[in-house]
Amino acid sequence: MALRYCWRDNLPDYIETLRRRLAELGCPIARMRRLVREAADHREDLKQAALAEGLAEVAAEVRADVQLGEPLALAENLMTTVRRSAWWGRHCIIGFGVLPWLAFPVLWLLLLVFELLLVVTPGCGWDAKKLHAAANDPASFHYFVMVFQFMDYIALALATLLFCWLARRAAVGLKWMVTACAICSLLTLITWGKIEPHSFFVGFTVNSHLHLQWIRGAIPLAVAGAVYVIERRTRQRFLEKIAV
Amino acid sequence: MKKTNPSFLNGVPELLVVRLLAGREMYGYQIVEEIRTRTGKALAFGEGCIYPYLHYLEAEKLVSSRRQEVDGRNRNYYKLTARGRKRLDELTAEWNRVTSGVALLLEGQPA
Repeated sequence: MALRYCWRDNLPDYIETLRRRLAELGCPIARMRRLVREAADHREDLKQAALAEGLAEVAAEVRADVQLGEPLALAENLMTTVRRSAWWGRHCIIGFGVLPWLAFPVLWLLLLVFELLLVVTPGCGWDAKKLHAAANDPASFHYFVMVFQFMDYIALALATLLFCWLARRAAVGLKWMVTACAICSLLTLITWGKIEPHSFFVGFTVNSHLHLQWIRGAIPLAVAGAVYVIERRTRQRFLEKIAV
Repeated sequence: MKKTNPSFLNGVPELLVVRLLAGREMYGYQIVEEIRTRTGKALAFGEGCIYPYLHYLEAEKLVSSRRQEVDGRNRNYYKLTARGRKRLDELTAEWNRVTSGVALLLEGQPA
């Protein structure tokens, strides 16, 4: 008998319960598709075996559900495996509570330098004369300071995004993602980068340019909010798509 | 996961799954059926439990999986990797060591 499991079909209650619980537990969508598909296939096999034994359709479905085990417990078990399959899932405290303190400033600096290279290289190459000329010209330097500011914000956002992506990938939940982003936010308040003609500085501080530091501090939080909203919308769209 | 899950009893399903996959590639339902049949129905557990194990084994690179369409259904087939074969040898040796130890104790005089 040829069967094709389709996401647009009405899902059996068991599978629907499993899928909803996986979604609630923050299972990544690609992984959820696979887990639910496997469970649905297995359930169908059990049902077919029961039908072959002469059971009625409803009785066969009930037996298949019993054999498959409690769907909520199964979802929890599957999520534990998803979390434990990644280092970040097994070591949440280190990964999202400790590591950002050390890794975020380094990441930010590397990204900033990389962005600087991307911006400077096409314009001036590595021609020292051109670089000095651009630095000595107040108009072009003023423009470059603004670009640098923008690059700083982008570097902060990208470094934060990395932790959000890791949290999402390891399915550790919102708590750890927000923890990492809050740490990133604190670090953005005390780190700084500055460009002057012929010089580039980075460092730690707790004073000066507070208005700019607050903008920097808000970036990781904004990234966390955006990731949360996008994730929520994607999940919602995914659920609606199935409900059709 | 190995360090946090060292209990020997917890390793039994892993041993069974790895042993079965050493023979040929299988999908979840097939594995459960094989376990049931080949253990004379002595071992029974919630069938859904097989998937957390399979996914754990896959994450540990002990098994690999591929999707294949069979009779209009897209199944995930699992097969043992080289690392999985090594693990099978380790688990088998551990099983033999424990069962022979337990057998010695059971066969001996009560203290």
